[in-house]
Amino acid sequence: MSKRDEVISWITLGLALLAVYLSLIYTPFINEPKLIPRVAQKIFYFHVPGAWVGFLAFFVVFVCSIAFLKTSDRRYDSIAQVSAEIGIIFSTITLVTGPIWGKAAWGAWWDWGEPRLVTFLVLWLLYIGYLILNRSVAEDFRRARYAAVFGIVAFVDVPIVFLSVRWYRTVHPSQPILERGGLSPEMKLAFFLSLFVFTVLFYLILKTRLSLFNMEDEVKEIKEKMEE
Amino acid sequence: MRSFYQIIALLIKDFTAELRTKELFTSMIVFVLLTLVTFNFAFSGSRLSLEVTVGAIWVAFLFAANLGLSRSFVREVDKNCLEGLLLCPAERYVIYFGKAAGNLIFILTVELLTLPILPLFFSNNSLLKDPIKLFGVFILGSAGISFIGTLFSAMTANLKARELLLPLLAFPVLTPVLIASVKLTLYLANPSPIYEPGRWLQLLIVYDIIFSVLAYITFEFVVEE
Repeated sequence: MSKRDEVISWITLGLALLAVYLSLIYTPFINEPKLIPRVAQKIFYFHVPGAWVGFLAFFVVFVCSIAFLKTSDRRYDSIAQVSAEIGIIFSTITLVTGPIWGKAAWGAWWDWGEPRLVTFLVLWLLYIGYLILNRSVAEDFRRARYAAVFGIVAFVDVPIVFLSVRWYRTVHPSQPILERGGLSPEMKLAFFLSLFVFTVLFYLILKTRLSLFNMEDEVKEIKEKMEE
Repeated sequence: MRSFYQIIALLIKDFTAELRTKELFTSMIVFVLLTLVTFNFAFSGSRLSLEVTVGAIWVAFLFAANLGLSRSFVREVDKNCLEGLLLCPAERYVIYFGKAAGNLIFILTVELLTLPILPLFFSNNSLLKDPIKLFGVFILGSAGISFIGTLFSAMTANLKARELLLPLLAFPVLTPVLIASVKLTLYLANPSPIYEPGRWLQLLIVYDIIFSVLAYITFEFVVEE
């Protein structure tokens, strides 16, 4: 890790702790008679940034997939693979926290009529498929090309999935929390700080994982040479 | 125009090969029937609502299509025919569209052959209220399945876990096709505006266009050696 990234890491750690404090303690509870939904709302500060980083990561996969097919540069393939892994982790956070909040707020863990929920599940399944595909092709160049094609198809599919699931009824708090005057300045501060920390975290994990990835590659090459 | 004739030639090749063995048709049709029978037992023989019936039918179609699609390129790869195919003086997309059209016709044939049996199985006559429009829905839905399926079939044909991987990749991508096809089939059986046929029809058409174009662009990377 470079000196600059190390500094960023330490700053991020501090900001992350601050974000946890702000979102769990500093921000006021929402106006809600029952205790559990009031507490569960705090999930919002992790749930939404998780989803954002998930989308960001999969967008990176999409862009790098196109770049790889255009240039055949191995670096883009590495970034795409690593980014997909991170995207899966962050979207898993969202998928796990969502039902916890849902149970408290709607009284149900899951709702098949909820477009964002179902789209997110499909998105998650798509990129699990991407990772499995990445691990089932032995030949390296072929694997990279297949993964890139799938990375493009999967990302293009997401908005269509969203549209198709949206045309049911909707209960997810789309605007309510953000627009109905629900977000106080304290909440906004906590939320945007959390969003920022999640994004920087994505960058840091991407860099670290990428260098690990390149090391794995080097080891593989050395092994191959030794066998010869 | 030349590409068009090449696609037709490829179609004829696939049909000739299939007519010699008939393995794909037979197994796909038997598979659809088997799935429907299994569904009937799984639902304990209760009288099913229209929604469940239509859903079961489309799941059976999707599974059968998957069966056919997974063989589509395997046949070429196993007998080293793909190399020959790629050496043909034809553009890559011609091979893709030839294969996709072949798969589409296979799937449609299976659907058409099982269509008359469906009301019998589910004792629901409203399914065949408008067979011509229903056939249109079959074409659009199956085209989506075939466009995506052919692309992924070419991808997975070379792999060891190919039969496993194809549905894993294709089913999530096909979610919108399944939803839209089910909704449109429901609408035809029970024309009520709550199914909103207009937007589903648009969605299905847009999906077919987007993914055929995408496959057209990316297919050469899949078969490139």
